[in-house]
This record gives sequence, C-alpha cells and structure tokens, in this order.
Amino acid sequence: MNTLTVSLRLAWRALTQNILTSLIAVFTVSLSGGLFLGAWKTKQTVNLAFAQSAGGFDAVLGARGSQLQLVLNALFHLENSPGNLDWSQYETIRSHPGVSEAYPFALGDNYLGYRIVGTTPDLFVHHQWKPGTNYQVHPPGRIFSDHAKEAIVGAQVAAEIGLKLGDRFHPYHGLEYNPDTRHEDIYLVVGLLETTGTPVDQVIWVPLKGVQMMEGHDASSANAISGVLLNLKGSSGLALDVKYNKQGDRATLAWPVPAILSSFFNRFAWMERTIAVLAILMALVGGLIILATLRSTLHERRREFAVLRCMGASRAVVTGSILWQSALISLMGALGSVVLFIVLSLSLSSLIRLQVGVSMGLPVFDKFIFLTCGAILLLGLISAWFPAQKLYRSSLLESLNPHG
Amino acid sequence: MPLTPCDKKLLHMSLLTVEDLQKSFASPSGQLTAVLDVPSFTLNHKEQVAFRGASGSGKTTFLHLLAGVLPADSGKISFDGHSLHSMKESSRDQLRAAKIGYVFQSFNLLNGFTCLENILLAMNLNGSSNRSWAFTLLEAVGLLEFKDYLPRQLSIGQQQRIGIARALVNRPKLVLADEPTGNLDPANTDLCLGMLCSLCQEWGSSLILVSHDPRVIGQFEKSIVWEDLNQVTQSSLTRA
Repeated sequence: MNTLTVSLRLAWRALTQNILTSLIAVFTVSLSGGLFLGAWKTKQTVNLAFAQSAGGFDAVLGARGSQLQLVLNALFHLENSPGNLDWSQYETIRSHPGVSEAYPFALGDNYLGYRIVGTTPDLFVHHQWKPGTNYQVHPPGRIFSDHAKEAIVGAQVAAEIGLKLGDRFHPYHGLEYNPDTRHEDIYLVVGLLETTGTPVDQVIWVPLKGVQMMEGHDASSANAISGVLLNLKGSSGLALDVKYNKQGDRATLAWPVPAILSSFFNRFAWMERTIAVLAILMALVGGLIILATLRSTLHERRREFAVLRCMGASRAVVTGSILWQSALISLMGALGSVVLFIVLSLSLSSLIRLQVGVSMGLPVFDKFIFLTCGAILLLGLISAWFPAQKLYRSSLLESLNPHG
Repeated sequence: MPLTPCDKKLLHMSLLTVEDLQKSFASPSGQLTAVLDVPSFTLNHKEQVAFRGASGSGKTTFLHLLAGVLPADSGKISFDGHSLHSMKESSRDQLRAAKIGYVFQSFNLLNGFTCLENILLAMNLNGSSNRSWAFTLLEAVGLLEFKDYLPRQLSIGQQQRIGIARALVNRPKLVLADEPTGNLDPANTDLCLGMLCSLCQEWGSSLILVSHDPRVIGQFEKSIVWEDLNQVTQSSLTRA
C-alpha cells in the first residue's frame, strides 16, 4: 500500500470518526458555494432568458412614453399600457418599406387575472417566435377567426385555470381581476397553444376586434390599438427611430428590444455588485469553515499523528492525510454547492416562470461552475496546508505522554 | 557522516550504539534546559535491557531519540549500520517503519481502526500488506477472535497485547517499550511482559524497556538504573 493510499485511508477514517463535524463542514461549504454560484449565475441566466423571451420581435410601436414600459407591456405582459395608437398609425407603419412584419395588439381585459390580448390571426400563422418556429396549437384546436368571439389560450393559463377546448368564458374589464367588472360577451376556446417558455404562455389571445368592440368599452376604442409588434428589415430601425422618437411626438418606437432590456437590467447593476461582494464573502467564509473544522479535528488527531510518526509514518503520510481530509470535505462541499445551485436555479426558474412566464431552462454547466469547484478544492487545500505543517512539527512528547 | 572502519567493526557486534548524546528543551521562558546527556550506551542483537528510572527523568526522550523521531542536539546514534544523526528525516522515517517497533504506556491504538486494521496499518507504513502474518500475530497474542473489535471494545490488557502485536508486525530489529505495563494490573503486567519478551526473543528483536516499576525491572537479566546512564541530574530537570 503506497503513501497516497495510506494517507487517503487515514483521512477517510478521520472523516467518518468525526462524522457530525465533517457533515457540518460539508453542509456549510455547500451553502457558501451554492449561494456563490447562484448569485453569480442568476444574473447571467435571467438576462439571457429575458432576451430569448422577447418573442422574436425587433421593435414595438406604442403611445408616446417610456420605451421600457412599451417592451415590458407588449412583450412581457407586465406594467400598464402607456396609451393607445390610432388604427391609421398601424397602417402607416405596416406599409413602411423597412417593416417586414407588423401585428397590432390591444389589451385592457383579463380573465381571472390573466391578460386577454387582442391581435390578428396572422401573428399565429406567419410569425416565428424563435428562428424557424411558429406558434403551434394543440390538435384538434385551431386559431381564432378574425371576427368571431373565439380565443386561444396560452399553455400556462390552460394548465393553471384548466381552460380547455370548447370552454366558454366572460372576460373582465381591466388588467386586474375584479368580479364586478364582468363583460357580457362570451368567448369560446378554440385552441390551446403549445408551451413556448415565454410570456405568451400567460396570455389569452382573442381577435383584435374582440377587444376593440367589447361590450362596455368606450366607443373610441373601436379604432384604437395598444401598439404594434414589429420586425424590421436591415437597418431601417435607425430611420424609424429618427421618425418616431426624435422628430415625431405622437408615438414611441421601442427599438432595439435587446438594448432596452439590457438598459433595464443595468438598473440593477448596484444589486449585482452587492451580490458579487456577498458571494465572495461567502466563499471566504467557506474557506474559513474548512480551516476551523480542520483545526478542530486536527487537535483531536494530534495523538493519532504522533503514534503514526512513531510507527514510521513519513511527512508525506501525515500531511497527505490532512490534505486528503480537507480535499474530501472540499470535494463533497463542491458537489453540494452544485446541487444547491441546481435547486436554487430551478426554484428561481419556477418563480420567474410563474410571475412573468419567462422560462430560464435548466441550469447550464459551464466553465464557471467547474472553475468554482476547483477554487473550493484549492481553498480547502490551502486551508489545510498550514495546519498540516504545524501539526507535523508539534511536540511528540506532549501528544504521546501528557504526563511527562 | 560515513562510518569509520572502527565503527563498522563495532557494529558487527552491536545493534545500537550511542555516543555523547545530548538533548535540551526550551522552557516556557525560553531558557534551554538539558534533559539528557548519555555519554555511551550499547545494545547487542537480540539483547533485552530494562531501564529503571523515575517519571519525568528523560527516559521517553531517550527512546524518541533512539527511534529518530526527535533530533539530538549533539552526539551519535548508530543503529543497524545506519547513522541516525546524519540521516535525512525521510530516511529515518523509513528506517523506523521497517526496523523499530514501539510499545506505549497508554497503548495508543488508533480508535477508529479495528485491531486487525491497527496491525495492518503499521505494516502499510512499511510498504507491505500481509494479512496472514497479521492473523499469526493476533493468534500469538491470543486475540485472533477479537480482530474486528475496535480498541475501545477491549480490556486494557487486551489493548496492550494488540499494541505488542502492532510493534512486532514488521519483524523489527529493535522494540522500544515505554512503560508498557504502567496502566496494567499485576496479572496483565505479567501476561503482557511475558508475551513481549518471549515474542521478541522468538523473532530475534532486541528490546529496550523503560519502567519505574521494580517488579518489572526485576524480570530482566540486564537492567540499568537510568540515572546512572543519564548525566543530567534529576534536580536540574524541569520536564522530559
């Protein structure tokens, strides 16, 4: 049996002999590492998930106001609409040579708190919400007809409130559910959308005319829309930006969508920095915990090492055993960190999906995670190195023969 | 330091020779206190000798110096053709694992390991692993059926018997026994001492035993009063 095996065996036995202390150390390192990974990776994952959930649109045209509010309202179905556009404004932008796709939408109603968005069937026929992928309706469902009181239901809505093909429902006025604001119109569910992992899943879609002509709505809304979802050709965004945002004063073009989302996340830069500092502190705490655990167990192992030295254990066996002990705690801590990170990511993903319909997907194992695990291991070995050297030099006489 | 022809000749007869060995320890105030000054000592192959001396008089320090776990301040220790005083630490470790067995007063078995594992571990430190030999030893000390017991599950007499088996597992040239019967009752003292001496004799190991118990010392043909060997006076010692 070589030095490596003997020292590993001694380390493993030390771990199992001090099982409670070892488990506490592994748990604490896991907690530090998991929170570190979670804090660091969440920002990246959330940014990416939001960017991928923009529904495949380059821009949104809406009432004069904030570009961010327009994007959040039109693509993520958050916030209130900043106002309305005339139908003529939709026709103008649709006919602009720089526009490849234009879908008007109108909102202002809900069903049990889920937004009802009016749009044209073309959105579900022609638009690709991600490259090469159109919205799909579960068979035998179909897309609503332009002038009928029909609806197709997002996957999350269907799952959560149990709407199914052939169901009928009364919309409620406003974006928040209020039982006193029920419209008399009755809509028939004709299709259930397949899951997209985007905010579309949280919406009930009806024909544009349905929202415009809803019983109880103001007569002026018959020709009003909340905005237009756009895809642009080439660099036409620049020209449209000048036309609507710099020279015009009737509408706002939210373009380009990714940059607007980035500016949104940049608002939280202070929070990210705070999390980063906390994460680094957590990592240091993890290292200190390994050190404290080792010091505690090494104090108990002084006699054991003194005996081993009398039996001929070399420096490599003694220091190797301590380094192995730390390495095993660190390795289990690193694994625990990854497990905790996965649990945190999935929990956060589920929360975000429930709140805004954005799917973060499964946690991605990239270089950063492996580097973090390596750093935990290195920190553990560094923490163990100095106690190991000190222990080797400590007095055998005191350890073996406390009575002199 | 190479051995002279004279040294080599001497070594043909003796297993261990000590010359002008000195050791001091620093007191808490930083002052050096001499604990050991042995001008000369020789031990022959297969010889068994007992040191009698008071507790705290430097006997354990002497054993640690002989085993090479402590460095001497000055002097020479030659053991089985090796000059311990001039060897590197790693070489001393190897030599100790292969050729020196240690028996402690408080047994010092490793608590997390079974009796068999305690013996195998000593073997492993010497780079070997021979379970059948470990079983032979356990049988020799009468504890084969306890091979899977943890030390705490044994009586103190049984623990010391495992300690003896562990010390002999690598067929050492020299066994150092530091008050091996200090914690034992008279019956176990006789049993363990008899076992230690007879097994050393049977397997050709020399034995140095230190004790303050005249009854133990009396069982050895050759015994030395430690204070006669160590030139440091008892009154000057603070700790050994």
